[in-house]
Amino acid sequence: MTESDKRTMTLNLTAREMAVLEQLAAAKDLSKTGVMRLALRLLQAVDSKIRMGQKLMFEDEKSKEKSELVLI
Amino acid sequence: MTESRVFLRKSETNELVESSLLDEVTDHHLAMWNGSWRPAMEAYCAGRVLRDKPEDHHWDWKWKANEWRPLLGYHSFAIVCENDLQGLMVASDFKSARLQAQFGKPIVYVEFVATAPWNRPELQNPPRYRGVGTVMVAAAVELSWDLGYRGRIGLHSLPKAEPFYRESCGMTELGKDAAHQNLMYYEMTDNQAERFRQK
Repeated sequence: MTESDKRTMTLNLTAREMAVLEQLAAAKDLSKTGVMRLALRLLQAVDSKIRMGQKLMFEDEKSKEKSELVLI
Repeated sequence: MTESRVFLRKSETNELVESSLLDEVTDHHLAMWNGSWRPAMEAYCAGRVLRDKPEDHHWDWKWKANEWRPLLGYHSFAIVCENDLQGLMVASDFKSARLQAQFGKPIVYVEFVATAPWNRPELQNPPRYRGVGTVMVAAAVELSWDLGYRGRIGLHSLPKAEPFYRESCGMTELGKDAAHQNLMYYEMTDNQAERFRQK
């Protein structure tokens, strides 16, 4: 995608949401915009899999216990 | 769609040949895959037992395309040289690094990458062109830079390609992954990506 294809939006976040966004940006070594774009792509990919009848599971590496994350 | 100029090496003459790297696999590329790549693979596999077939012989790129095309987090690449398809790759951009030094940071993950049957020494000797794998890894690294991931990439390697990722690309081997058909997992750090780009 070229720069001219991009659209600008204003995003209103609560102080807590902004704090989390800043924390994630630091942890992921990304800009805040980068985190939001990553979140969008990840949510779309997960949603697509769930629509196909698949489940999103987390597994504890040590205990091998699995838990399902249910998205609304 | 962006087209970049890249070079492959023609085996017969050892010359570098100008080629195109396209950052989107189009219907035209899939038609080329169906029209020449797929029949060449099927012809090679005919009469061979499973263990003698290329590890990716069953990959159906048309089917894969239907899965990735609607999704923002997937990026596809094709290499065309002298009007023939030479390589295909699909990468995703929302997976996290496993290597301790970059754990949890986003990487470009190479989901699938393959070179055309006529570029594989085990299928055609000498192969038509060399360098498809290197161009594709470079494309993944550049995508990682464009996304702000500093060149970090990761992939699971089919067994025959392991020396290429380890030695030619300088990636770190993280062991076999039981959750991924026991394939060897590799990652490239930002420093390794910088060294790879300078090659």
